[in-house]
Amino acid sequence: MLAAKAITKRFGQTLALADVDFCAREGEIHALVGENGAGKSTLINIFAGRIRPDYGHVTLDGATVGAGSASAALAHGIAAVYQSPMLFERMAWEENLALGGFSSRHFNLGTVVTDAAALAGELGFTLPPPGTFVDRRSVAERVRLEILRALSFRPRVLILDEPTSVLSPAQLEPFLHLLRRLRSQGRIVIIVTHKLAEALAVADRVTVLRHGRVAAERVATLTGEAELAQLMIGDVALPHSTTCSSSNHGATVVELLRVTLKSGERTALDEISLTLRAGSIVGIAGVDGNGQQELVEVIAGVRAPTSGTVRLPNLDDVAKDVLAVIPQNRDVEGLILDLSLWENLMLSRSLRKRLGARHGWIHRSRAAQLCQELTKRFSIRGRGPDALAGSLSGGNRQRLVVARALAAAPAAIVAHDICRGLDLSAAAELRGRLRDYAAGGGAVLLISTDLEELLAQCHRLYVINRGRLTEVQAERRDLVEIGLLMSGASR
Amino acid sequence: MKLAALARPLAALATATASISVILLALGASPIKVFDALYDGAFGNWVVFADTLTKSAPLLFCGLAIAVAFEGALWNIGANGQLLIGAMSAGALGPWLGAWPHAFASSALLVAGAGGGALWGGIAGWLRARRDVNEVIATIMLNFVAAQILSWLVHGPLMEASRAYPMSTPIAPVAELRLYFRPCRLNLGMLLAVTLALVCYAFLYHTEQGFELRAMGRNRHAAAFFGIDTGALTVWAMALSGALAGVGGATHLAAITHRLYETLSPGWGYEAIAVALIARLNPLAIVPSSVLFGALDNGAQAMQRTQDVSPVLVQVIEGLVIMTLLAFDTTAWTAIRDALWSPQSTATKG
Repeated sequence: MLAAKAITKRFGQTLALADVDFCAREGEIHALVGENGAGKSTLINIFAGRIRPDYGHVTLDGATVGAGSASAALAHGIAAVYQSPMLFERMAWEENLALGGFSSRHFNLGTVVTDAAALAGELGFTLPPPGTFVDRRSVAERVRLEILRALSFRPRVLILDEPTSVLSPAQLEPFLHLLRRLRSQGRIVIIVTHKLAEALAVADRVTVLRHGRVAAERVATLTGEAELAQLMIGDVALPHSTTCSSSNHGATVVELLRVTLKSGERTALDEISLTLRAGSIVGIAGVDGNGQQELVEVIAGVRAPTSGTVRLPNLDDVAKDVLAVIPQNRDVEGLILDLSLWENLMLSRSLRKRLGARHGWIHRSRAAQLCQELTKRFSIRGRGPDALAGSLSGGNRQRLVVARALAAAPAAIVAHDICRGLDLSAAAELRGRLRDYAAGGGAVLLISTDLEELLAQCHRLYVINRGRLTEVQAERRDLVEIGLLMSGASR
Repeated sequence: MKLAALARPLAALATATASISVILLALGASPIKVFDALYDGAFGNWVVFADTLTKSAPLLFCGLAIAVAFEGALWNIGANGQLLIGAMSAGALGPWLGAWPHAFASSALLVAGAGGGALWGGIAGWLRARRDVNEVIATIMLNFVAAQILSWLVHGPLMEASRAYPMSTPIAPVAELRLYFRPCRLNLGMLLAVTLALVCYAFLYHTEQGFELRAMGRNRHAAAFFGIDTGALTVWAMALSGALAGVGGATHLAAITHRLYETLSPGWGYEAIAVALIARLNPLAIVPSSVLFGALDNGAQAMQRTQDVSPVLVQVIEGLVIMTLLAFDTTAWTAIRDALWSPQSTATKG
């Protein structure tokens, strides 16, 4: 039994956890749910020994786990997979896994590869060829590697922070099945998630955190999504998402004509043609790593296509000024964490122009003022315009990226996985803002792995699979059909 | 916060002083006398202070060059070579300017120096941007190339008329930068350097190009997402960096040496890396930082004369100062500082 007693943790002025009692038993999948900033990450970091609590202690089967030591936690059999990948980017995947528990005595990459492949097979996915660097893989693949690495320690307790947010529906069921198998082996599995349906589907018990306190503990079969959502959020009403409406086709803002991108041997994008029109939202569904990232980079002008063209008719040919990109990996592509909030806003050229950056002079005070307005309007909780972007929490960082994109009033927004890791109300709020933007005449390209989000938001919907785009006709829009397309089945 | 910012270097200096004292005591010298001599030699009177400033000027130029490049995460280790190329450009041009008015002639030398340095830095930038050559390796190699070119020039094409010494023909007297406080050698160079420090500060923190450079330095990948042409910016920033070092070389030649020697630079370009890092790449802070190093250089000579201490010890002292300053620049220190100062600052905020 993994138990936490009276855990309290304070970061500066913020009380992250207040007197939290938590307990997870053998052979149990325990879901930890809560909004952003509720203290979920802090709690699992305390379990994993990455953070030392100010007060309280953690026990595993009655033995106290040395606080604040990751190696002590691992030695006790507590392994964790974090939301932000903890991989060595410029190393091959098997080298990354060799740092796990696969090769305990002899450093033998060959064994690591076979063992990992076997384990991956059980989980229902395949691994890239040995020697492939991690930085070449998509977010989903990285998370899978991390799960493999954590499992290689043969842990008694496996903690997973938002593991499913990047898995496709096809991968989800085997994954949940695996969790159940781990449970049947007498392990303790703790999953942190925002997806209440998933939590209910797989977990035996659910603990809800709110503002650093335990709001409730429920047996999964005796509760429902509505109750959990209510417990998580408190007394705020959830905004309703509207269903798909018919589009009013406006002027073409961005046009891709037979865009092909080869990176090395691989064809990342295969003759993609796509039109974004003013006032409509185009969605692209797909399993991560099928060309979404490359598509965003080509549209953003970061990479030039091997063949084909990206056209922005009726506008200057400077893609950067008419387009705002909300990239998938906000900490690496969307923000510069070592710059302040206002400086991150100023990364947008159109915002700089709007603040009157004449002769290349940046108006610091105006930028700070704009920053203050935006942080208020988008309820970004930070310590003022001069705070570093890295000091914001994940959800607030995402809000900052979205705020910058919308404030620049671009003709088109490319949004890649904007709701990843956001809680329900924050996600609903961001979706609402994108919808309003489209209603106001903006063109949106929404790339996501979340099918329900896409079905609710988009006027037109495509599926991307191995760099190929297939449109989903309105009358065939259902999860089964899309799921088939995503897994590459031909119609 | 002002107080906190000062406390860090002061505490570092105190630690350095303490450890140096231990070394001096072990060597049988009196720390008080040695430090006194060091201070006297650097700041004792106006003449030596002016000399300290003169010695600081090349460090300041090179420190600015390094700060501009490092802010863009371009590790320019080649300030020394860029300075030499700048000096060579000025030294080659100088003898031909006899018929020019003073203002034009000396400006022409500085422009030539900037151009030479920009070319040398730009080569490394171009190699990085277009051919993906690591700029650390490129700039180090270019340092050797520059030193060899200098050696060849003073033994060959630019060798002075009598062909007796390995040095070049002096520049036309009209092109020399004037010395205002004879006998000390203080000249317009330091004023130019301080002005450039202000310009660099404004450039990095208040202009779009400087901002883009800093953004690229912090996250090259993200910078590309915001339409920053990282390739062009790399070439451009390295050229600017080289130009700053090159002007430093030209200034030194125009004001002090008036001709080229093989031993023109004692390694300012390398020492300036420490100058810039201690100033945390802030151009304004590089001014006092370069003066600190200039003072150590200058004071050391006096110390050597009056206290009979080995000149090697000066290098030991410099090394200790740099290490302690950097050692105090840690997260542990930040934590102590926050604990001591932030309650007040948050209280005033509301």
